[in-house]
Amino acid sequence: MLNKRTSLQIMRDTIHALMMREIKTRFGSNRLGYFWAVAEPAIGVAIMGIMFTLIGRTAVYNIPITLFLFTGILPFTLYKNLFNQLAAAIDSNKGLLSYRQVTAIDPVMTRIIIEVATYFVVYILIFSVMAWLGFNALPVNPLGLLAASLLLTVFTIGIGLILCSAMTYWKDTKKLLGFVNRPMFFISGIFFCAPMIPPQYWYLFDWNPVFHVTELSRDSFFKVYVTPVGSWGYLSACALVSFSIGLSTFYLCRFRFIRS
Amino acid sequence: MIHFNAVSKYYPTKQGRYYVFKDINISLPTDRNIAVLGPNGAGKSTLIRMMGGADMPNAGRISSAKNISWPLGLQGGLQGSMTARENVRFVARIHGYKNTKPIENKVAEFAEIGRFFDEPVKTYSSGMRSRITFGLTMAFDFDFDVLLIDEIGAVGDANFRKKSEALLKSKFERTKLVMVNHSVSALKRLCQSGLLIKDKTLIFYDDIDDAISQYQQEYSK
Repeated sequence: MLNKRTSLQIMRDTIHALMMREIKTRFGSNRLGYFWAVAEPAIGVAIMGIMFTLIGRTAVYNIPITLFLFTGILPFTLYKNLFNQLAAAIDSNKGLLSYRQVTAIDPVMTRIIIEVATYFVVYILIFSVMAWLGFNALPVNPLGLLAASLLLTVFTIGIGLILCSAMTYWKDTKKLLGFVNRPMFFISGIFFCAPMIPPQYWYLFDWNPVFHVTELSRDSFFKVYVTPVGSWGYLSACALVSFSIGLSTFYLCRFRFIRS
Repeated sequence: MIHFNAVSKYYPTKQGRYYVFKDINISLPTDRNIAVLGPNGAGKSTLIRMMGGADMPNAGRISSAKNISWPLGLQGGLQGSMTARENVRFVARIHGYKNTKPIENKVAEFAEIGRFFDEPVKTYSSGMRSRITFGLTMAFDFDFDVLLIDEIGAVGDANFRKKSEALLKSKFERTKLVMVNHSVSALKRLCQSGLLIKDKTLIFYDDIDDAISQYQQEYSK
């Protein structure tokens, strides 16, 4: 017979159980997913790197093009994966919500932990390999880099929570997301940075918090790069606003998730 | 006791809200087996699901100090994309068990579905699903005070039905039932009291025979 558990212990057990299940679906039963977690950004960088080399650019501000691209594509991958995983978090665990121990926030927390942990492992792995290959892959300002990733995570969690809630009202939210997210790859500064664009066109990009993350990551990573647009204030404000709206809508909808 | 305090439940339909239950105030005893009676669509499954915490009333509260099971029904409870073994593991883990192996074996043994135990649940027939759902509660020694059963025996074959009934009876000492079943004889065999769903509310009868005769009078015209 089991002892009585506190709510916190129940939550811990539930998240552990969900984690075991999610890792299997996220990375595939044959564990090939672990390989893709690293290969996906690496292949992206390889393709863009070749394109840059072909047009005769091997460095941006004396930053090797591969490092330049990795600092952009990795946060973007976190954004994209976390976004997609959170938007579907409740839907893909619906059957399990019928156990009273499992509440709507549990699958969300589980997916956040998995995505963020994966991101850190992949980030460290890729830059260790780069260092091993002889690149100067140590960030100048690791705390800044961490802060940018953290703010991005908070921002994306907020968006994800809003999407979960929106999904209970309108099932087609998912389809809309595809359209909204497609141009994000091109406007988040993955393969360019602000100084490459004439200042009068910055307004096209500087509303996008993910663009700020890329800019600030590079600012923190490279000594020679100083971002002209990336703003900690704006990014923090976006993160705070999206997180608060996300939490409030999620709280308001907490019974709708179960009611189905 | 299970207390219903001003419980209302509706489903949004194209023609506006459809109330299944309106303002229920009742306390159900937990020292006897209760049969839930009502025609199709009266809200039997909804009632069971709300009592088990798998669904929420739109207003009011259902509360109890007793240890109530999750609803054992055909829909919900099992995640289709996971195998039966993974489902069992999951349920064991959320109940705080660290070592899930013995429970897995027990359910596999009870369910008798052979190698399908390691195939995704969505490939199962409804009979196989009910074997897993039922085996799941039985294998754990949860010691529920109340077990919520929603027509789960109905899809099983004779052998399975006999087996599960025997197992239920062996637990009657401690675990009581709230069950939905369309077979009147099964209800008479297992339950002492009845709960009739009528006019969007619940009427409790101490004696199952009263409940059944009332039900037949009410609905078989």
